[in-house]
This record gives sequence, structure tokens and C-alpha cells, in this order.
Amino acid sequence: MNCQVVQENLTFYLYDELGAEERAAVEAHLGACTTCARAAAELRRLRALLDQRALPEPSPELLVRCRQALEEALDREAASWRALVRSWFVVPPGVSALRVTTALTILLLGFSLGWTLRPRAGSPATPAGRAESAPWVGADLANLRISGISQVAPDPQTGAVRITMDAERQVTLEGSLDDPRIREVMLYAANRYNNPGIRRDTLEVLRDQGDNPTVREALLYALRYDANAGVRLEAVEAVQGIAWDPDVREALLGALRTDDNPGVRAAVVNVLIEHADDEMLPVLEELASTDRSPYVRMKCARAARERAQN
Amino acid sequence: MDGACLELIHRVPGANPQLDALEERALIRQAQRGDRGAFEQLVRKYEGSVLRLALQVVRSEEEAKDLYQESFLKIYRALGRFRFESRFSTWVYRVVMNVCLDHLRRAGTRREVQAPAPAAGSDPEPVEFFQTVAEERPELDPERALQGKEVGRRIRAALARLSPRERLVFELKHYQGMKLRAIGEYCGTSEQTVKNCLFRATQKLRAELKEIV
Ligand SMILES: [Zn+2]
Repeated sequence: MNCQVVQENLTFYLYDELGAEERAAVEAHLGACTTCARAAAELRRLRALLDQRALPEPSPELLVRCRQALEEALDREAASWRALVRSWFVVPPGVSALRVTTALTILLLGFSLGWTLRPRAGSPATPAGRAESAPWVGADLANLRISGISQVAPDPQTGAVRITMDAERQVTLEGSLDDPRIREVMLYAANRYNNPGIRRDTLEVLRDQGDNPTVREALLYALRYDANAGVRLEAVEAVQGIAWDPDVREALLGALRTDDNPGVRAAVVNVLIEHADDEMLPVLEELASTDRSPYVRMKCARAARERAQN
Repeated sequence: MDGACLELIHRVPGANPQLDALEERALIRQAQRGDRGAFEQLVRKYEGSVLRLALQVVRSEEEAKDLYQESFLKIYRALGRFRFESRFSTWVYRVVMNVCLDHLRRAGTRREVQAPAPAAGSDPEPVEFFQTVAEERPELDPERALQGKEVGRRIRAALARLSPRERLVFELKHYQGMKLRAIGEYCGTSEQTVKNCLFRATQKLRAELKEIV
């Protein structure tokens, strides 16, 4: 080994990254060449100097904070679109992605049309001229960064629901409301999604599903907590269609007392009139004089009067 | 390569006792089916070395926490695609390395924007850079402590001048004692590339620190 080769290898020699042969050659050279020996000594001093840097030890407090932050992030993750789509398209262990693909019959419709994903088995007809479809496996889809939902539309002819989402490409999920996975996406859209228009559309689709306990819960949730008055209004309308029970009654009375939108409160009174009972009477009478909106006061007064007459 | 990782884990306070391979495999499968508890056990195994590396490359505990969270969130999201074709530890560290590299790249851009390279002869340390990093252990001798602090400051400034990849390779090699081959696997590059990185990093550090070596 000549001096140049040795000096190029000094770093690796000192970091113990040379093979036995090279190592021996370097050592032999260092024993005979003062120039290279000096270079090696300098590198050793550099190493020793760098060792003086104090490495911060993770403190137990930091570890706890990290774990907590991660846990919160995982919670958010579990409630995200990504998680929903993943739960839909997750490839069960032991099942090949290909089989899942066949079961879902994923179909590429073209660039602007986005994807149609049919969760039902069977092969829908491929529109002529758009047949250059490479099936998309679930794993890829689960990785989409879904940025929004652009449409939730029922198909009156088939009874299927089409959910169009904006991702890196547009994605459409299509399926029957009987399909629990479709319902899951819908419920998510109804309660969590941050576009009120979509939440309202979703509720509208869900209205006919009020017998389903989860749907029913989603409707009441929207009625109580949705930030958008239009969505709450839609929820009030939808609640009309579901079986009357104490939960519904409580949710409606709660909305009547606390909803800050007079339109929503007025709609609530309309529903309550149909189900008014004696216990409700004092509430209606009270609100007939205290509600901030004259219109709602009037409606409450009329409802109370009607109830009192029956 | 595993030797290096395990050694790191042993140094972590409160870390989980290491899982054997079979146990880990079972946990991965459970986690892939959505079992959060299983995922958290996997996190416990790797969090110590992840956090230690994070603290080495960032400016503050807060940022280290972000790296920790980002790393494990990425692992969580990608876990379904882990097919047991490589070692799980390699797969995990690959994600972590990418998160760290991204961070170093972003930090580099930020620093360029905030603080243009100082003119020759002026103080070479980017002022805001290490202010919030955990301070060195207090020394009894105040003069030595002062000296130690100064040296530490110079070292960190020199490290901060390495390219993101050189920095990461150097941190892993010098401070964590990993083998270059393992580093290559973790960074998804060849051993030769890693070798070149280590060589360049050492050259740069020697130039930066020649006055105090
Ligand atoms: Zn020589």
C-alpha cells in the first residue's frame, strides 16, 4: 500500500471497517511511514475530540411526552379517512392481494372519471374503449392521501351510493347501503368530515337507514354536535323518520334549548309537536316566553297550546 | 448489525426487554390486524434508539418528539405492507432514517434562509441552532466546564455543516457505533455510498475543527 491508499483508508481503519488483509497492510505501513502515522494520530485526536460531545440522553419525561403524542396521533389516525379506506381494503393476512382485487373488481374508468370500486363480487361490464384497466390492489389504495370528499350521491335506480373522494386521483366508492363498509364511510362523512355540504348530503342518504342503530346514533350526533346549522337542520328532518324513543326526545329537547340557530329550533318544534307529551309541556311553555327568536317563541306557544288542548 | 441496535436498546432507560424474533413476528401480525396494544409493544422495543437518534439530529426535545411521532406514525401506516421479506428492525430503521433525513434537509433549508453563511473569520456557529438542545452534564470545575461547553458548541456547529446524509451516517457510525453495511441497509443505499459519506464527513470535520484538534 502506498501513502495515498493508506490515507484514504485511515478513516475506515480507525472505525474498524477494513477487512483483515487491508487492516494488516495499513498497520504495516503505519509502522514504517511517519507521515501516515502522523495523519493517523491526527484522526485519532479528532475522534477523541468528537467523543467529548455530550449526547443528550432521552429523559423519562420526554419519553412519556413522546408516547402520549404518538397515542393521540394514532387516535386521530383511527378516525381518519385513511383508516376507513384502509379497513375497507385491508388485505386479510393469508389472502393474496390478487384475490381481494378480484373480489372487489376494481375498475379503472379513465383519468378524469376517476376510479369506480365495486365492493360486490361479480364483474361489472367494462365500458368499451376504456378497457386499459390495470387493477389496483387495496394496499395501493390505502395509501392514497385523501384530501376531501367531493360528492356523496345515491343512485335511485340501483339503490347504490356513490362516494367520490379527492385523492391523488379521484376515487369513487360505490356500493349498497346494506354494505357495512359503505355505511361506515357514510357515517364518517356524516359526523366527522369537515365539509358541511358533504355532511348534509350524507345525512340525506342515511335518512332511510334510520332503523340501523349506528345510523341512528350518527343522526343524533349530527343533531347535537354538528357545527353547521344546515347539517343540524338536515339531521332534524332525518330524525323525523326514525322510531321515537327517549334518546330522540332528549336530543330534540336539548337542541331546542341550546341550538343557537332559530331555524333549527323551529324545525325541532315541528317534530316535537307530533310527539308532545305532558312532560314536555313546561319546556315548551317556558321557551314560549324565553326563546330569543320571536318566531320560535310563537311556535313553542302554539305547540304548548295544542298539547294542552289534547 | 442487530448487535448495534440491541446495544442501543439496552442503554435506554425503562425500555422493554428485547422481544425474541418469534414474539416479535406474532406482535407484527397482531398489529397488522389493527391491534393497537401489539403495535405499542413494538414501539416500546424501538422507541429508545429512535428517540436517541432523534435527539442527536435535532435542535430541541420538542423536535425530537416530532420525529418520534412522525416515525412511528409512518411505521403504523405502512405496517400492513410489511411482508416479512426483510428484518423488521431494518424496515423500521429505514423509515426512521428517512424521517431524520427529511428533517435534516428541511432544517438545512430553514437555516440557509434564516442565517446566511457567516463571512470568514466571524463566529462560525449559526446562533440559534443549539440554544435549546439539552445542555451538557454540569462539571465541577467551572473552567473545565466552560471549556467543555465551548468544545461541545464547536463540535455541534461542525456537525451541522455536514450534508444531511453525511450527518446521519456520521451520527450512526461515530456515536452509535453501527457497521457501515447496516447503515447502508437502513438508509437504503450501498455500503460504498455510505463509505464515501463517512469519508467526506470526516474530512469536513477535520477541516472545521483543525484549530482545536
Ligand atoms: Zn505513508
